[in-house]
Amino acid sequence: MDRFFVRFILLGVLGCSSCAFGTDQSLSVVNSETSVAMRMPNSPVVNFRVSFRVGSINDPQEKNGLNALTALMIGQGGSDTFSFEELRKTFYPWSAAVSAQFDKEVTTIIGSVHRDHLNEFSEIFLELITEPRFDVSDFERNRDSLKNGITATLRGNNDEELGKQTLNGFLYRGHPYEAPELGTEKGLEVLTLEDVKRFHLQHYHQDNVLVGIAGGYPQDFVIRFEENLQNALPAGVALTDSLPAPDSLSGVEVTVVNKQAIATAISIGFPIDVTRADDDFYALLVANSYFGEHRTFNGLLMNKMRGDRGLNYGDYSYLEHFIQSGGSRFPVTNIPRRQQYFSIWIRPVPHHNAHFALRQAIVELKQLVDTGLTEDDFSLTRDFLINYSKLYVQTADRRLGYAMDGRFYGTNSLIDEIQVRLPLLTLDDVNNAIKRHLQYDDLAVAVVTTNADSFVEKLLSNEPSPPTYNVSVSEEVLLEDQGIVSFPLNVDVDRLQVMPVEEMFRELSR
Amino acid sequence: MAGCVGGDSSNDVFPFPVVVSQLENGLKIVSVEYDSPGVVAYYTVVRTGSRNEVEPGFSGYAHFFEHLMFRGTKKYPTAAYNKLIKQMGADSNAFTTNDWTAYHIVASSDSLETIVDIESDRFQNLEYSEDLFRTEAGAILGEYNLNFSNPVALLQETLHGRAFMFHPYKHTTLGLLADIENMPNQYDYSLQFYDRYYRPNNCVIVVVGDVDSSQLSNLVEQYYGDWEPNNFEPVIPVEPPQTRERKSSVTWPNPTLPFLMLGYHVPAFSDQTIDMPALDVLSQLLFSETSPLFQKLYLEEQVVDLLSGGAGDSRDGPLFTIIARVTDPDRLEYVRDAIIAEINRMKVERVDPSVLADTKSHMRYRFSMGLDNPGDIARTLSHYLQLTGDPETVNRVYRLYDAVSPEDIEYVATTYFAETNRTVVDLTMEKNDG
Repeated sequence: MDRFFVRFILLGVLGCSSCAFGTDQSLSVVNSETSVAMRMPNSPVVNFRVSFRVGSINDPQEKNGLNALTALMIGQGGSDTFSFEELRKTFYPWSAAVSAQFDKEVTTIIGSVHRDHLNEFSEIFLELITEPRFDVSDFERNRDSLKNGITATLRGNNDEELGKQTLNGFLYRGHPYEAPELGTEKGLEVLTLEDVKRFHLQHYHQDNVLVGIAGGYPQDFVIRFEENLQNALPAGVALTDSLPAPDSLSGVEVTVVNKQAIATAISIGFPIDVTRADDDFYALLVANSYFGEHRTFNGLLMNKMRGDRGLNYGDYSYLEHFIQSGGSRFPVTNIPRRQQYFSIWIRPVPHHNAHFALRQAIVELKQLVDTGLTEDDFSLTRDFLINYSKLYVQTADRRLGYAMDGRFYGTNSLIDEIQVRLPLLTLDDVNNAIKRHLQYDDLAVAVVTTNADSFVEKLLSNEPSPPTYNVSVSEEVLLEDQGIVSFPLNVDVDRLQVMPVEEMFRELSR
Repeated sequence: MAGCVGGDSSNDVFPFPVVVSQLENGLKIVSVEYDSPGVVAYYTVVRTGSRNEVEPGFSGYAHFFEHLMFRGTKKYPTAAYNKLIKQMGADSNAFTTNDWTAYHIVASSDSLETIVDIESDRFQNLEYSEDLFRTEAGAILGEYNLNFSNPVALLQETLHGRAFMFHPYKHTTLGLLADIENMPNQYDYSLQFYDRYYRPNNCVIVVVGDVDSSQLSNLVEQYYGDWEPNNFEPVIPVEPPQTRERKSSVTWPNPTLPFLMLGYHVPAFSDQTIDMPALDVLSQLLFSETSPLFQKLYLEEQVVDLLSGGAGDSRDGPLFTIIARVTDPDRLEYVRDAIIAEINRMKVERVDPSVLADTKSHMRYRFSMGLDNPGDIARTLSHYLQLTGDPETVNRVYRLYDAVSPEDIEYVATTYFAETNRTVVDLTMEKNDG
């Protein structure tokens, strides 16, 4: 108890630079060492995000999926007092919700409730986190759900996600990041309820938690909630093992997943040594937005591949691991990582144009690296990001998530960092950062396609891949194509692999 | 003319005052001044969706227009439009449904006049070459391709294709593959489509956030005032009552668990009659996480890992659609029978009033908790405006939800869930005999 109060020294009551944009004017932010609180007295909703510094990297060897399953036993399970069924019945008339989000390094239990039912909800929410029920039926249902996520959804129902997860596993072979966040098929099969209980005891403790609360809660609510949570959690020692560097890539390394597919999905990437904690991240943010801003027509890739050529539905690039939040264009929060990767996502392309599309994306990347941005590109993109990033935090819940991510990286909220740092950037900062961190020689490529052998043959032969257009394209585009159709891809034959989809994510590579 | 509705009664579920005005050409302007300093959400509602695609061979054009509208005008060619959007740092996108198309921008409120300028321009003066038109058709095919790596797209297409004989709800919003493949050849038809539907009397402007309603009205008058109306009314075929059960089975070439989809024809949205509100409540009673069926199939027996059902608000009679993903291929029939048995139980066993009260409470809180930012508020209001043109509809329909009685539940269960009104589609993994 005393220890808790010592730690709950206010680190600051902060005004933030982006408060003037899109938020209730009465917002007040209070930070302690172990919590982030954003009070908005006019809001009828209260959002909770309780994050633990634990993720799939903490899964024991050959038990991939243990972190995910433990999180689901909280987010989709019962508490000591209430069964899952009873909980749902209690929450239902309030339209209150609890869920769990798990990633490589951080797991977050998320809750939301109308302030009319805040006190009853928060007691149950707290018990769910500290004393999950560990019911056998919940265990079996959640384990099957994760397993079906691999064997049915990933392998057969979503080629784009399959491509992205394939790229992730490929980039991080033999690295703690290799396994999909939801585990592997074999890993999930061997898990027991005892494993889950042990994992919870080991990782859900006082020194591993960050509490986030935002919305229309009463003045002293956060102090009470955090005190009760700390008292209910066991003591522990925060462990953060150092992460090894990912294996370096050699040339263009390709994994082709063979399956029936109506079109070919392609993901390209390579690890980068930059995160939000680094100055260069903010320079690269401008470069990446210029090159491939997610689901907008701002990006060069989108304009050249979809806009000029009609090759597919969209083409984007990313500076860090990205999961889209619902139907919006913005990323989910609370999936911070100590190591990141740069990636290009080419949405499904007709098979006959896949080889060309892969080449074009790499040629465009080469162009970016070789020539950088112009002064106009730079200033337009920088100004865009300064305004656009404010839209990342249109709700209290999202503002909270970004503030918590700042704790992970030792920074302010990403949006506040952008407001401060981007106006100070110069064109040289951006182009120099591109030279330092981006490249086009050593790439991992994940391809999901039908008739993989034929695709591989074309890749290895480096034969020209003229696109077939259903449309007439401009002379300028045809001229550009001449520099793309025969662009040599230095595919590493020894590392090239073709995988039947049925074997994907069965177990780790080694 | 302008008027203020809503936000003044304690029974109103929509908590903010709504200001409504209309230009002489029929364009309606609806605004909500909401506490989001510096941010505004700007929706243009076109009351045209795939429902309007009545000519055979031309499915998918409402959605195609969602793409074409980003292809520029004389004043603002694509690159200039995109540059302005970028300069504003705006989030700009669009979506299409069976009944309407929405174009939305969330941006700094300082940019309001620029938004009104570029939006009014493309709605009145869209200009795209045949080449650009054909290029965009390629993106539509790409969207179809990415959607069809998910078996649910195949299930939906099959279910609607079987359940509807004549009504355009027969095809999905994306359109039929053959029609999409033929799109590049139909430039003239696209011009006609724009001429018919992109008219002020078929549109509503909805603005929420840091906005002054009277300033907005003046801006809209200034920029949209010369837009000519067109009173084109499509003849939408009326779907005759279904007289016998229809069934289809489809296969999937990749690993998957089996799926089951059932559809029942139900009536069009109305804020005057109890039928659709009662059906919405019934969907909760049947398929919410607290429903007996969910408890049985999902929690206890764990024979499904996905179960949901309901009907969206629709301008014509939609399908009440039920979807289940079945964890064991041998239990498909069992799951189908259990769903039907539960529906039949609702016809004869009166719902417990306390369960009904919990359901209504859930729906009201869910609605209220969703109104926490300008974009979501604008979208919610736009949804009701496309249905009836009247923002007060949202309050009326929630008053109807409050009025739904156990007898109403029994009535809709009995009236709309007959076997003869049912279409069933199942999807299983393709067997590889080789």
